[in-house]
Amino acid sequence: MADYDRRGGGGGGGNRKRRYREDDDYDRRPQRRRYNDAPPPAHIRIRKQLLVLAESPLRGWHEEVQSIAHLVAENYDKDEVKTGFLDLVAQLVIEQPLKTPFVAAVLLIANSVRPEIVTDVLNKIAPLTEQQIAVGEWRSVKLYLKFLACLQSCLDGDGLFPVLEELFNRAVELQTSNSDDTIGTELVKIILLTVPYIMASAPGQGQQKAADLMDKTDVIASEPHALQVLIDPYHPEKGDDSPSANASLIGLLQKQLQAEATNGWELSCLPRPWALPLEEVEQQEKIDSAQKHPLPSIAIPETVVAGPRPLFPEVYFSVYANQEVESVPPPSSIAASLIRDGLLDTINNLDFNRHVTARYLIDLDCYFAHGTFIKRATPFDRLRDIEGGRPTWKPEDVAVDAVFSQLFQLPNPEHKLVFYHSVLTEACKLAPAAIAPSLGRAIRYSYQNLHRLDLELAYRFLDWFAHHLSNFGFMWKWQEWKDDVDLPDIHPCKAFIVGALDKEIRLSFAQRIKGTLPDEYQSLIGPEKEQDTPEFKFNDEHTPFSAEGKELAALLKKKATDEEIQPVIDRIHSAALEQSIDPLVTSTDVFVTAVCWVGSKSLSHVLAAIERTKDRLLDIGAASEAARQQIITSVMAYWSAHPGVAISIVEKLLNYSIITPAAVINWALVSGKAGSGGDALSKAWVFELVFQTVMKVTGRVRQVASAGTADGTADPEVAAMRDLFKIMEDALASWASGSKDEMMDPAEPMDGAGGNREDIVQRWGERWLRVFRRRSAIEEAHLQVGTQ
Amino acid sequence: MRGGYRSTVERLDRPSAYYQGRNKRRRPDRGREDRDGDAEMADKPEEKPEEDPLANATTLYVGNLSFYTTEEQVYDLFSRCGEVKRLIMGLDRFQKTPCGFCFVEYYTHQDALDCLKYIGGTKLDERIIRTDLDPGFEEGRQYGRGKSGGQVRDEYRDDFDEGRGGLGRAIQSERMREVDRHREADQRMEDDYGKTR
Repeated sequence: MADYDRRGGGGGGGNRKRRYREDDDYDRRPQRRRYNDAPPPAHIRIRKQLLVLAESPLRGWHEEVQSIAHLVAENYDKDEVKTGFLDLVAQLVIEQPLKTPFVAAVLLIANSVRPEIVTDVLNKIAPLTEQQIAVGEWRSVKLYLKFLACLQSCLDGDGLFPVLEELFNRAVELQTSNSDDTIGTELVKIILLTVPYIMASAPGQGQQKAADLMDKTDVIASEPHALQVLIDPYHPEKGDDSPSANASLIGLLQKQLQAEATNGWELSCLPRPWALPLEEVEQQEKIDSAQKHPLPSIAIPETVVAGPRPLFPEVYFSVYANQEVESVPPPSSIAASLIRDGLLDTINNLDFNRHVTARYLIDLDCYFAHGTFIKRATPFDRLRDIEGGRPTWKPEDVAVDAVFSQLFQLPNPEHKLVFYHSVLTEACKLAPAAIAPSLGRAIRYSYQNLHRLDLELAYRFLDWFAHHLSNFGFMWKWQEWKDDVDLPDIHPCKAFIVGALDKEIRLSFAQRIKGTLPDEYQSLIGPEKEQDTPEFKFNDEHTPFSAEGKELAALLKKKATDEEIQPVIDRIHSAALEQSIDPLVTSTDVFVTAVCWVGSKSLSHVLAAIERTKDRLLDIGAASEAARQQIITSVMAYWSAHPGVAISIVEKLLNYSIITPAAVINWALVSGKAGSGGDALSKAWVFELVFQTVMKVTGRVRQVASAGTADGTADPEVAAMRDLFKIMEDALASWASGSKDEMMDPAEPMDGAGGNREDIVQRWGERWLRVFRRRSAIEEAHLQVGTQ
Repeated sequence: MRGGYRSTVERLDRPSAYYQGRNKRRRPDRGREDRDGDAEMADKPEEKPEEDPLANATTLYVGNLSFYTTEEQVYDLFSRCGEVKRLIMGLDRFQKTPCGFCFVEYYTHQDALDCLKYIGGTKLDERIIRTDLDPGFEEGRQYGRGKSGGQVRDEYRDDFDEGRGGLGRAIQSERMREVDRHREADQRMEDDYGKTR
């Protein structure tokens, strides 16, 4: 029996080797025995069939759901059938929500044979829904409600409507008491996404109820949320509108539903597996006239909570907007919201198996009404030839769009970004010919919109792009951007190219990446990038303090004691005093550069070198801001061709508290060392350095806040974080307003950017400012929630 | 399966069958089969079998790396699941050069699980890498345990894997002897030509 269970366990289970290994040593029965086994018991067959429900486009929905329904009904007296089935239904609608309408269809048919099955399911789901409401697990609430909505046709009276009305009452209370409230917004979203399933389940009924409900939600849904500007994926230049200015998710939903209502609730994309073909009219009548059930009560507490995940209003985002032929549902269509919603729940709930998630993306068309999409892998160019009135939606585009909406979700998607990378990778592996062209168009769209994407998202895009290519032999049609190579480095497109190539090199090596690039790009990867170990500048006799540099390096190499090192440092100090330069800064450059060089073989080497000289480094770092700046400068200068290594070292120096987060920010944004005249702002690695540093600080605050509760232990950390954001605000505001001294009086040549260089730098400043103001606001909100 | 809760699809953040298998079979009188042939678990006596050594594991064994993959590359990829606390490259016991595996230690268990889900089975340096939850690094485990100093799996491999030193080492040395024999034969031939001339 255990064997059956394991095999039923879904996915690609049932691998012989694995099972063999799980067997006990002395209990190794001959493999052959299983062939003589009787057919698996009913509860195993039911589980197996339910798990693959609707997965094959070759099987007819109605046959499949009827077969399972009858199997369940015939065997429902058996305990293991009953409990196994009820548990699996409750789990399936959460973990694989695209199958929910099909599971509901099984129940509607079972209802015509054994109504008690539906009674049991309702008695199981209603309390589960209640529990999820109580803890604020809003996605699970939405998914249970979606399931119940699909059962509307077998519910008594108004069915699910009263629950939605009650949810709406909570939403109104929340929204009227606080304009920043996000729970109410979430509730309205849930209501609006549930209504279509009710209407599809019980066609021709409840139209008045739906209209009444939508009259009420209109006030909340049509009002732009106070926080929406904060999480808009676009950050347009002054005077321009954001492409998503009117794309609040619930605002769109409200309009889409209203359009649907005037259309008699056609809801053409939704599958209706409970509708049997005409020749089965008798069976259909039985279903329609089967027993109706009262919906068990679902209590909603007076005060609802936000739950474990912070809630934000959502914006509908698409990388396939404004194409000549629409390859995804337009934002005016309810299909846009319903398909996206089903996909996102699938993606985010199945993060524990990206292979299955990717399978869902590829098989998307199996879970919606026939004719919703065009044939898989139809090239985009062919869409033009499709005659009017017929759909032109490409399943691959819809799938890729959904993943991109998560990559570009502000402030953060639910899972680590690398999860969404991995989903796209798997989808590409499963169906390269279908997915790759869609991805290519998504990349092109993002690239063309780099200038107005939120800067954090532009960086995410760059990071994904390089990582994605690393999984596919670094192949990309660089040819199409070749003209942009000649743009000035501070142009967003050029900055992207330079940043992406650096990331690629970090995941590979310079020569390899050079080999993937057309001639025009070759000059972007200089010989210094191909050198694994940068030169030690003190090996050059002409470098001041060359002798001391070499001596220090030799001492560090033989792991000399601090007493042996000090005399060399003293010599540098006295020489510096004679030349009237800062002695500590001078000796720090020699010392830190020597540490970098001695540790240049690998990160382990440099970490060991830092560990051995930790006390001296801590003393230097504690001495002055100038000294801290010099530590960073020396590390960055030594690894200038490989900023990734430098960033890793800085991260470790922060961990040791040798340098401070403020020093990193000052170095990157104020000192001019990361690029003069505002150049620093355009460099991807500078953004990475700063962003990572800020995230380290905010992460620390959250950690302390969650551990130390309200006893004040978090206070110093919180104060430090606020100081840091203040420093950033000051540094960035002057860039953004154009009042930075370096901008007013540019000492640097214009590097081809011409007269509008100032404007470009100012624009970078604005974009930086927006990112970190948002981070600051989110952390403040987080602290507030924590104190409540 | 650990835990009573079973998902509707397999979870990728479970220890591999390799780990589960070898733990069940931990009997002192038997030779063991090995995951990639390395990363020897310290031989602790079995005290409490119900205590799961991986329940809070923060370390991952990473296999199928190229010998040329650097720490920096590993760091760059694996940092995507959380800050890497420690990275230990697997080394050839004799040459002290990378031999195709490493240990990555995170600060939290969740980061390690996420890494299994999101990074295991994807490419690094253009090779599909494998990850497995590990009870924790101990000194000595960084060395290959194959006869010739590398990983056991690289001893008898009969495919040519450029990133891992070509053919299996045992086969290589066999081939080398053959080449030598051929060379001797060729030499003799040449000598023979000389004679006939």
